[in-house]
Amino acid sequence: MKKILSVMMIMLVLAGSVFAGGASDKSSSAQSNGKTVVNIWTNDRHDAEYFNEKIAEFNASNPDIEIKITTIVEDYPNMLVMGYTSGNAPDLFYMNARGTGFDIKTFVDGGMLVPYPDEVLDDPEFAKVTDARNHVIEGINAVDGVPYGVYNVLRSGTRMIYNMDLLKQAGITELPKTLQELVDAAAAVTAVGNGNFYGIATCSSAQFERWLEGICNKSGIYHYDYKNGRFDFSGYAEPIKLAQKFFTDGSMFPGSNTQGVDAMRAQFANGTFAIWGNASQEAGVFTDQFPITSFEWAVSELPSMDGNTYGAVEARPQKGLFMFSSCKNQDAAWEVVKYLNSEDFVKGYIEHGYALPLTEYMASVVDMSKIGRLADFYLVPYEAMYPAAPAVTVAGDPYAVALWNVVVSGGDVDKVIADLNKSYNEALDRDVQIGKVKRLVIADFDPLNPTAGTIEYLDK
Amino acid sequence: MRNSARTIRRKGDGGIAATLMMSPAVLMLIITSIYPFFWLFRYVLYDYNGFVAYFTGLDNIKRMLTDRIFWASVGHTFEYAVLKLIITLPLSLLIAVVISHNIPGSSVFRGIFFLPTVISASVYSLIFTFIYAVFRGPLNTMLQTIGLISSPIDWLGDPNWVMISIVIVAVWGGLGNYMVYFLSGLSSISSEVYESAMIDGANARQTFFRITLPMLSPMLKVILLLAITTSFKDYQSILVLTNGGPNNRSHVMFSYIYNLIFSSTTTPQIGYATVLSIVAALIIGAVTALYMVLARKLDDVV
Repeated sequence: MKKILSVMMIMLVLAGSVFAGGASDKSSSAQSNGKTVVNIWTNDRHDAEYFNEKIAEFNASNPDIEIKITTIVEDYPNMLVMGYTSGNAPDLFYMNARGTGFDIKTFVDGGMLVPYPDEVLDDPEFAKVTDARNHVIEGINAVDGVPYGVYNVLRSGTRMIYNMDLLKQAGITELPKTLQELVDAAAAVTAVGNGNFYGIATCSSAQFERWLEGICNKSGIYHYDYKNGRFDFSGYAEPIKLAQKFFTDGSMFPGSNTQGVDAMRAQFANGTFAIWGNASQEAGVFTDQFPITSFEWAVSELPSMDGNTYGAVEARPQKGLFMFSSCKNQDAAWEVVKYLNSEDFVKGYIEHGYALPLTEYMASVVDMSKIGRLADFYLVPYEAMYPAAPAVTVAGDPYAVALWNVVVSGGDVDKVIADLNKSYNEALDRDVQIGKVKRLVIADFDPLNPTAGTIEYLDK
Repeated sequence: MRNSARTIRRKGDGGIAATLMMSPAVLMLIITSIYPFFWLFRYVLYDYNGFVAYFTGLDNIKRMLTDRIFWASVGHTFEYAVLKLIITLPLSLLIAVVISHNIPGSSVFRGIFFLPTVISASVYSLIFTFIYAVFRGPLNTMLQTIGLISSPIDWLGDPNWVMISIVIVAVWGGLGNYMVYFLSGLSSISSEVYESAMIDGANARQTFFRITLPMLSPMLKVILLLAITTSFKDYQSILVLTNGGPNNRSHVMFSYIYNLIFSSTTTPQIGYATVLSIVAALIIGAVTALYMVLARKLDDVV
């Protein structure tokens, strides 16, 4: 009895400390050894080594400010919201362009973010390195043209990566320029492979976005009709029907649809399939994580429907720093923002091969010989960001999931597209009506230069 | 709670101490379980993304009634639960009975069968994704070598196989747990009963059906209740194995609800997920109630 009682007491004390922990763990700017602490959250793991090194440098030399960085990988946007609502938000947080689950309009409408002040935007070094005023993307890092986050580097759009040895075995000498040629190349390699290797592969996450969506975008097909302010999936019908052949021909690596991305990268490095699509992070993957030594690999631009380019392919700016409105020492935090966007910091970041330069100035100062195979992913002229389509609450699967599902299952493409047109536009009409989103219209929209047009928000 | 406290007090066995000792647990239950459940009801009529709640009237409920993916996931939940229960329970009872006879090495077997219970579901599910791999995966290679199949099976990607693959993982993970429940039930049956049955010349089958099973029945009812409720709530290993795919074929109620809030590619749909959670709770409640009625009826018969 006594033993049980004492166990209970211990549990009670522990339970108490759990709640106390929630209340006392202040992560907002606090004083420690006389310095102002600036807390930063990030969801990037791959560059942690560089960040720790540079932040230690800053902390050692700066007498007034100390930077603390925390990596949060799982469920990042929700963690940010929970941090803010519970009073434990960091001062600054990193968010890459089009980060999954992050909708800047929701954050701004909730009064959670501080816009970049003119002093920072016009700071000579900051302006030179980031060219921030020319990288304002509506619905991505800005709302109504006001920037809340500034990026300093870029991840390229998707590329196709080929195992040249396997292509050679299948008698393919020229890399595919159209989706039809890609389908044929995958089938040809599979036929030669005879069960030992296959044409092309996917993996269990972001399947449609990984390369097929880029092929559609380059062909001028996009899911939001900016000119009319409606969702329109009709253009996807032709490429989706063609992509179904990867599965019906049997040229898709068996079971790859349920394997993790790293498992498939390892298979590619092992030479068990010929074609893989992904963005510039693969440069590091195939030189460090799964180094390819036994065959020659090549990187090429995405194919399109007829081989020509009609629309921009998304290249996503990275390392956007945003400030929470709960930040108590904003001046100190802006100093940190300037440091993390200094020429020295960004130059080192790019030369480590983490990402590509975002601005012409940075491209001119980095030593490109240091970036290795990342050079293969260097930007093409038609890479840009699209302004964010309204984030509507849709019944049923998100379009990328629905479209990929019909690619895999070989089902009725036209029906899926009709359903998407209906569900997305109904959701848009309803969400505009209840005031959740505004209808985005760009009357002079140019698919090759998506951010150039005049943006209008309509209430109906 | 109050009832049990009163019973104890009547016996004069430290009623205040008992109440005090229970209060932290009850408090935690109220804070972490009961309060959040009622908190949910506020958002039934809203589209809520975590900061701003937009009033949408009965839209969430209308959407629930016509949501094909959700109602399919309800069907999958029943499919999964039934398959898991009809394999796991008899098998774990059989193993428990065999092991309780103190055959050589029974404690080793007990340890081996119980092992999956202490491993996290997401960890062993991840390992199973490698075992299930189509291209040179261990399971397919083994089955091909012994000639059971001629070409590899896409265990997690084929709509006809995916539920079976998930149930195999669930059975593997749950077997040891129920075996331990049954073992503790078996140990409560007095050995004298078995001895007299042996003297009367009862064979193994007669002993099992006439003595073990009836004497285990109070325990069996509790185990069944636990097994039914857990199998209706399982979703962790499904998230890791297939995340509901292919084409939503393996979504159960809670994996679908989870995806609406946490891994949504748009903003979280908390209002709608709330409606579905309540419907799911009602469905599980109805199944449990049905089981309780049936169990009572069975008591009358036996």
